[in-house]
Amino acid sequence: MNQVGSVGLIAALAFAGYAVIAGVAGGKLRSLRVVKSAERAVLAFFVMITMAVAALETLLLTDNFHIAYVAEHSNRDLPTYYKVAALWAGQEGSLLFWTWLLAIYSALAVLLNRKKNRQLMPYVVAVLMATGTFFTTLVFFVANPFHELALVTASGSQAFAPPDGNGLNPLLQYHSMVIHPPMLYLGYVGMVVPFAFAMAALLTRQLGDNWIRTTRRWTMVPWMLLGLGILLGGNWAYVVLGWGGYWGWDPVENASLLPWLSGTAFLHSVMIQEKRGMLKVWNVVLVITTFFLSIFGTFLTRSGIVSSVHAFAQSNIGPFFAVFLSLILFFSVTLLFLRLDHLKSENKLDSLVSRESGFLFNNWILLALVFAVLWGTLFPVISKAVEGVTVTVGAPFFNKTAIPMGLLLLFLTGAGPLLAWRKTSFQSLKRNFTVPLVLAAVSGIALFVAGVRHLYAWMTLFLSVFVAVCVLGEFWKGARTRMRTAGENFAQAVYNLTMRNTRRYGGYIVHLGMVLLFIGFAGLAFRTDVKGLVGEGDLLRVKNYLLHCDGLVNGENANYEFTRALLTVTKDGRAFGTLHPEKRFYKASQQPTSYVAIHPTLSEDLYVVLAGLDQDTGKGIVEVFVNPLVMWVWIGGVVVFLGTLLALVPSRVEREMAEIRASQEVAVQTENGF
Amino acid sequence: MVSKLFCRTLVALLLAAVAGKGAAAKPTMESVGSGLVCQCGCNGIVSQPCQHYECAYHAEMRAMIQKEIAEGKDEAAIRQDFILRYGVQVLAVPPAKGFNLTVWILPGVGLLAGLALVLVIVRRWRRAPASVTAPSARPVDPKALAAVEEEIKSMGLGIRD
Repeated sequence: MNQVGSVGLIAALAFAGYAVIAGVAGGKLRSLRVVKSAERAVLAFFVMITMAVAALETLLLTDNFHIAYVAEHSNRDLPTYYKVAALWAGQEGSLLFWTWLLAIYSALAVLLNRKKNRQLMPYVVAVLMATGTFFTTLVFFVANPFHELALVTASGSQAFAPPDGNGLNPLLQYHSMVIHPPMLYLGYVGMVVPFAFAMAALLTRQLGDNWIRTTRRWTMVPWMLLGLGILLGGNWAYVVLGWGGYWGWDPVENASLLPWLSGTAFLHSVMIQEKRGMLKVWNVVLVITTFFLSIFGTFLTRSGIVSSVHAFAQSNIGPFFAVFLSLILFFSVTLLFLRLDHLKSENKLDSLVSRESGFLFNNWILLALVFAVLWGTLFPVISKAVEGVTVTVGAPFFNKTAIPMGLLLLFLTGAGPLLAWRKTSFQSLKRNFTVPLVLAAVSGIALFVAGVRHLYAWMTLFLSVFVAVCVLGEFWKGARTRMRTAGENFAQAVYNLTMRNTRRYGGYIVHLGMVLLFIGFAGLAFRTDVKGLVGEGDLLRVKNYLLHCDGLVNGENANYEFTRALLTVTKDGRAFGTLHPEKRFYKASQQPTSYVAIHPTLSEDLYVVLAGLDQDTGKGIVEVFVNPLVMWVWIGGVVVFLGTLLALVPSRVEREMAEIRASQEVAVQTENGF
Repeated sequence: MVSKLFCRTLVALLLAAVAGKGAAAKPTMESVGSGLVCQCGCNGIVSQPCQHYECAYHAEMRAMIQKEIAEGKDEAAIRQDFILRYGVQVLAVPPAKGFNLTVWILPGVGLLAGLALVLVIVRRWRRAPASVTAPSARPVDPKALAAVEEEIKSMGLGIRD
C-alpha cells in the first residue's frame, strides 16, 4: 500500500509540473487545446494525491506499523475516528493532507470555471500547480509519510514492524481536534485561489471587475473556514489544555490569526473597488499578503523557529519554506510593480465622511493589528539574531497592543455601515447615529452603576451595545420599509429583505457575531479561580458555587487509565449538577493528560480540572474556574459562520447579473477565439 | 462654573490615581506571575495554569514566587531573582530598554505610519480627478439596468442619501 502512495505522489508531482508548463504555454500561445490539457492535469493531480491520501489512511486503519508514520502516530486500540484523524497528527501526514486540500481547491477552481474567466484560467492553473509542485516535492522528498521502518544490523537492513504503535498524542484525542485542523488547513490552503486569480489578472492585464468579483467569493470561503478553525482551536485549548482560557497569544495561534485579519481587510476593501473602482493596488497587495501569511503560518507551525505548545511537528523543512516564501514575494511584488499603470483609481473621494473612508480606516486598523501581532510573534527571533539574547513576548504585550485596536475595529463595525457611499451629510449622521449612541450611553451608565469598572471590559460592552443597535437598526429600517410598501409582516419583511441582498445582510449578521464574540472576550476581565485538595466528603467554594466531593474513582479502558473526581455542585444553596473531571494516562504513548469538566451557561462556565493527586494525602488537586460569558464566544463564532454562509448565497439580483455577465463573456470569448 | 468643577474633580482623581500608584502595593501571585512566563515552552504566564499537563517548571516557579512573597521581597526584587535563575526570557515582555524598546515602539509607529498613509491616499483621492473612464461611463446593458430598476422598485427603497 505504501508503494501505491509513493506512486501517487510521484505521478502527482509530474502532473503538477506539467500543468504549470502547459498553463503558461497555453496562455501565451492562446491555445485552447493546451490550456484544456493543463486543466486535465490539475484533475489528474487531484486523483493522484487522493490516491496517496487513501493509501496512508488504509495504512493507518489497518495498523501497518512497518510504516514509520503509522507507528509513530497510531496504535491498535485507538478509536477508528482518531486513526482517520492521525493523517494530520504529524508533520508528514499533515503536509500530505495540506497538498490534498490544495488539490481539491484546484480541481474545484478548474471545474467551476470551465465557462468563466477563460483568459485567466491558464495562469490560475499555473500558479495553483506551482504551489502544488512545491508541496508535493516536500511530501515526496523531505517529509515522506510512506517511509518504512528498518532494523540496521551488521548484515544489512531489514524491514521491521513493532507490535504496536506509539499512539496519537493524547492532547489530540478530542472530538474538535478531528475537525479543527481540517478547517484551519482549508482556510490556509484556500487563500491560494484568490492569489492565483490575482496573479493571473496581473499577468494577463485583465484587471477589471471580473477577477475581483471571482476572488471575493473564493476568499470568503477560506476566510470563513479559517475563522471556524481558529474558533475550534480555541475550543480545543479551552476544553483540553485545562488552563481555563481559549486564547493565549501563542505564536501558532497568532499565525492563524494573521491571514484571517488581512483576509478580513480584503473582504472589506474589495467593496470599494467593486462599487467605486478604487483601491485596486491595495486589493492586490492584500491578496498577496493574505496568501503570504497563510504559507508563513504553515512555515511557523512546522519550522520550529518559534516555541509553541501547538508546534507538534518540527523538522528540517524550514529552509524550503523560506525559499518558497521568498519566491512568492519576489514574483508577486515584481508583477505588481510592472502592472501599476493598469491599476489606477477610476474615481476620486468625494468626502472624508463616507463609506469609502470607513473602509479605509477599517483596513488601517486591521493591517496595523497584523503588523503588531506579526512583530510581537517574530520579535524573539529578531532579538536573538540582533542581540544574541532570547527574550519572550507574551500575552501582556499582545493584550496591550491588540485590545485598543480591537475596540477601534468594533466601533467601525457599527459605524461603517451607517455611512453612505460617496458622502454622508450631517443630517444623515445625526439620523443614523443618535439612537445607537444614546442607547449605548444609557447601557454604559447602567454597566458602571452595576459595578463594571474594568476599563476595557466596560468599553467592549458599551461599544457592543452601540454596534448591535446600529446593525439591528439596519434590519429594522429595511423591514419597516417593506412592511409599508409590500404589506408584509415583520418576519416576512426581514426574511425577504435578507434574501434579496444576502451579501449585505449576511455581512450585518457577521457583524452581530463579532459583537457576541467581543462580549465573550469582555468576560475574561472577571475570571475567578480557586485551587484546592479534595477527597471524599470535602467541600470547595468558588464565588457562589459549592463543590462537594463524593469520591475519587479509578478505572480504565483499552486506550487509557483514569482517575475521576465525582463532584456535586450547588449554586446559592440550590442543586446545580454533577461534574466529573478526569486525570487520564494513555497507555500507548505513556502520557498523562486531563479531561476538563465544564458546566456551561449563558452567563458563566463552571470549569473544573483534576490537576493530579497529592502524594501526601492521596486527595485530588482540583482547580476550579468561574469563566463569565465564554459561551458567547462560541455563539458569536457560529453566528459569524452562518452570516458568512448567508453572504455566500447569491441573491436574486446577483444571479441575474451573473447570467448577464456570463452571456457577455461567452460572446467575448467567441470573438477572441479562446 | 461647571467646567471649573469638572477640572477640579479631574485633578483630584488624577492625584488620587498617582498617589495610589506611588504606594508600593504588596506583591501577589497575580501581580508577579502575570509578568513571568512558564519555562516549559507553553508561552503561558505563571499566574495562570500551565497548558502542559503536570508541568514541573510551573509548580517550581509558583513555589518560588510564594516563598519570596513570604520573605517580604517586592515585585522588582522577585523578578530580578527570576532573571538570575532563568535568564531574561522569563519575563513575559522584554525589559523596555535598548533594542527591546522597539517591540513597544514599532507597533505604535506602524499604526501612525498607516494613518499617515491613509491620509495621504485620501488627500490624493480628493485632489486627483478620475484618471480613467469611470464605470458609469461604460455602456450599460439594458437588461441589467432593467433588473436593477425592478429590484429597487420591488424593495421600495431608494439609494441612501
